[in-house]
Formats: sequence, structure tokens, C-alpha cells
Amino acid sequence: MSEVPCSVSGSDSAVSENAATSRDAFANWVDEASEGRVFAQVIVRKLEPEGGYEVRHAEDADAEGLELHDGSRAAREVSRLTEAGEHRPLKSAPNLRRGWILRVADARELAVAMNYLYPAAIVHWYMEREGKLEVTSYRENAARQSGIYKRVQRLSDEGVQNAARACCEDSVCLKRVRWDVDGETPLVMDRGGGKIPCPEPCSLFVSFARRVRLFEREERERDASGLTSSEREDLAALVEAAAGGEIMFAREAEFEEPLNERRLRYRGLTLVPKLRLEE
Amino acid sequence: MRALVIVGHGSHLNGDSSLPVYEHAARIRETGEFDEVVECFWKEEPAMRHVLDTVESEDVCVVPAFISEGYFTQQVIPRELGLEGSVTKKSGKAIRYAGPLGTFGQMEDVILERMEDLMRGKEKRPGRTALVLLGHGTDLNKSSGGVIYLNAGRIRERGLFDLVEEAFLDQDPEVGEVVAGVEAENVILLPVFIAEGWHTRETIPEDLGLTGEVTEREDRTIFYGAPVGTHPSMADLIAARARDSYEMSGTATHGDEVVRSAL
Repeated sequence: MSEVPCSVSGSDSAVSENAATSRDAFANWVDEASEGRVFAQVIVRKLEPEGGYEVRHAEDADAEGLELHDGSRAAREVSRLTEAGEHRPLKSAPNLRRGWILRVADARELAVAMNYLYPAAIVHWYMEREGKLEVTSYRENAARQSGIYKRVQRLSDEGVQNAARACCEDSVCLKRVRWDVDGETPLVMDRGGGKIPCPEPCSLFVSFARRVRLFEREERERDASGLTSSEREDLAALVEAAAGGEIMFAREAEFEEPLNERRLRYRGLTLVPKLRLEE
Repeated sequence: MRALVIVGHGSHLNGDSSLPVYEHAARIRETGEFDEVVECFWKEEPAMRHVLDTVESEDVCVVPAFISEGYFTQQVIPRELGLEGSVTKKSGKAIRYAGPLGTFGQMEDVILERMEDLMRGKEKRPGRTALVLLGHGTDLNKSSGGVIYLNAGRIRERGLFDLVEEAFLDQDPEVGEVVAGVEAENVILLPVFIAEGWHTRETIPEDLGLTGEVTEREDRTIFYGAPVGTHPSMADLIAARARDSYEMSGTATHGDEVVRSAL
């Protein structure tokens, strides 16, 4: 192995220790609770007297006959797909499947498993507890976007607020929103009560913000009834699906589709008041 | 401690894109060469933006699981990971940034292994055989096509095929024309892509009228392989890319120089 020259300043050194320290802090936090700790959708318990840890879906806390996996790497397989077999691009979405138990040997393996279930969550949980979590506002995040996402820089403050309400509340993401529109403009929303802080808009949010910005651009071309073309399209798709007896939602991040859950949540915030003449 | 961070594109819509990154990471982990092997993505979690928070090692090598030098390797990845050139010192870590995979010297071996896997047990027509390397290509970034020309040139030098051709989806020479026009009775078409996806599974077979791995046309047989990037040997290439970045820190690697001078 080659030697790597590396000058380390005092404060930087503290940052580099976060991964290891957070791992131990998380294990200690679990150890302190004999009944285990619920973290997002999982419950983590210390195994006694054999040692190690067990992780399972919190709703399976007392269930029997679960599929047993030894080792942290199986956590990736558990976190990959929803119960219905759909891809999970956002691991903090409340759609973790049930029916499994993971057993891991020690705090290190527990951290590996948790990083597959909830990537970077332990370290952010720890950094927030220590007052060290760096938060990046929407505007700071948008300023560095490029390519097809550059247009999110033009999203209005109101657009950011509604996008966050549609995209980030607990019913669609269990992280607790820590970021704001910018230094002076806080998000006005239910930020969630979970243990995992969200320090910065994620890529899913940026993609959704792009869609909302495209909706904003349509506002200039409303029809006689005051609706934009995509609002009409979404209403038609929704009525058609409901009339057929079944609303099949689009995939989680398929924001171009009218029946996407977050897109409909956004319509609930912006279109429903318009239809009810509450504007 | 020494960490390897593999950066993939990932996808909001399907798991095909990230799968090879996870599989290659698992293979490299088994070798024990690195104390930590960590995956991260642009469109999935863990995000590039936060992955270094989860890495314990002070000595980190970032390898992009991308075929070509381009928008992602030059702009997005350095920006999201906060990298400033081939070695960045930050947060108590020394972070080396390796080049993309397609320009590296072992790439043509992985392509040939993929070709051998495809052709094993399959019968060819009498006559000539052409290997066609298919890249995405774009008129916006010439490096994207350069990596296809580079590897085609290296394979051509080995004299294994009657013809070695380059083809693209989004630039000339267009793949449909190459596959139909190349003067060979057997056409082996290999997508030099990192993962399965919309193009490899849908647009390419549909546009070319392919019926699976083997498609018979009146004048030729077309053999269509899986993307080169999903081949297990890519794991060795990723590890070699990381090793190379230690040895050649601060300078462009041989492959990069070749592809740049070829443009």
C-alpha cells in the first residue's frame, strides 16, 4: 500500500471521524434501550446473550416466521424493491417491505446494514445530535445545478414551498426536512417527526422541482376556465381512472405522468383551491 | 485505511442502472484490496453529495462507473463530491479521482470477454465476421465517441476480426446503417454501455428489428450482446483504475492521453 501524504487540519480531522464515531454512537443508543429502537421504518435490537444486533421492519416487531438473513449486505436486497416489486430510488420513502430479519455481528456491520436501508442516515443523525450537521438551502442547491436541472434556479419561492409539501412530508418521505428556501425564507410545512434529518434537497426533489418549474411556466397560458394544459390533462387522467374503478399510480419518481403521487399531491395544493374558487 | 468509492449514474425509475455498480462493488469487496468499498449515485442513494460522510478511511479513491469522459465525469461528479483535480485534500481525507473506465487499457479485454460469452456455442455463417462497437455518442461531446474509436482501434490491431466498426445512437455513423451496411456475413454488435436500460433493452432491439441474441437476416446474422459494463471483469477494471490513480497521481493516465490526442 502506498503512503499518502495528507495534511489534516484540526477541524477537518473531526469531520473525518464522523463515520466511525456515529457508528459507535448509534450502537450505544440501541444498547441503552432493552426493547430496541425504532429508526424510520425499522426496529433495531441488541441480541443478548449471543451478541450482535437484529434489524426488522418495525411493524414486524413481534412477528414470527420471518425470512432470516445473516450479514449486513442482505440489507441491500431488502431495501431494493417495494412490497409490490417496484424500484425504490428514495430509501426514506415509507415503502420498505416487510417480512424479513437481518442479524449482524457488531456495530460495524450494523452501520453497513443501516447504510443500505437508510443511506447516510446514521452519520447525519449523529452529526445533528452533535450540532455538526451542515444544512444546504434550496437556493444554494439550485445554484449548482446544470444541464436539464438548471431551470430549477427559476422556481418561485411559492413553487419551492408547494414542491416541498408535496414531495417531502412524512406520508411520502420519512426524513425530517432541515433545509429552507434560503437563509431568510423558511419552509412553511410539516417537516416531519422522524429521526433522520434531511440536510439538503435530494436528487428526487430536484427532479420534482424541475417539473413544478415547468408547471409554473404554463401559468401564462391558462384557458378560459383558468386551467393550464397539464392541469386539464391530470384531471382527465384522474377522472378516467376513477371512473374505471381503479387508480393505478405511476412510479414514485415518474413526475411526467399525471397519476404520480407527488404530482397529485402538488395538484391538491394548487389546483383544488383553484377549482373550488378559493383563489 | 483505504476506501474505494464507485460512482454510478443510478436511476429514479428502474434498478438496472445501479445494479452493476453494486455487483462490481461486491466482487471487489471480496478481494480484500480495500478496507471499504462504497457505492454512490447521481440519481439514487447514497447521493454523491453525502457519501464521503459515511467513509471512514482517510485515503479514498473515487472511480466513476462511466464509460466516457464527459459531462458527468468532468462536471457533475467533481462538483457533487467537492473534488478539485486528481487529488483533493478535504475533511481529513486525501481523495483521488480516477478517470472513466472506457479509456483504460484493460477495456478492450473486457469487450473481448463479453464477445466470447456471447458467441460461445453459437454458429456463425461461412464468410466474414465484423465486430461493431456501439456507443451512445452525442454531437455535444466528442469524448463520448472517442472512447469507441479508441477501443475499436486497439481491437483492430489484434487482427481477430475481418472488420471492426464503430457505431452510435446519437451521432454518425448511425448503428442501423452500420449493421446493415458492413460487408460481413456475421455482425457481432456489442453495446459499450455501463448498464442495461431503455436503450439496450428497448430502443436498440426495436430500431434494428433484433429478435434476441441472434437475429437472422437474409444476407447476414446479427449477434447482439449484453452491455460491456455488466460483465464481471469490469470489477477488475474498476480496481485496476483505482490502483492506477495511486501510481499516476496528478497526471493524466495513458488511456486519457491517447483518447484526447485521437480527437
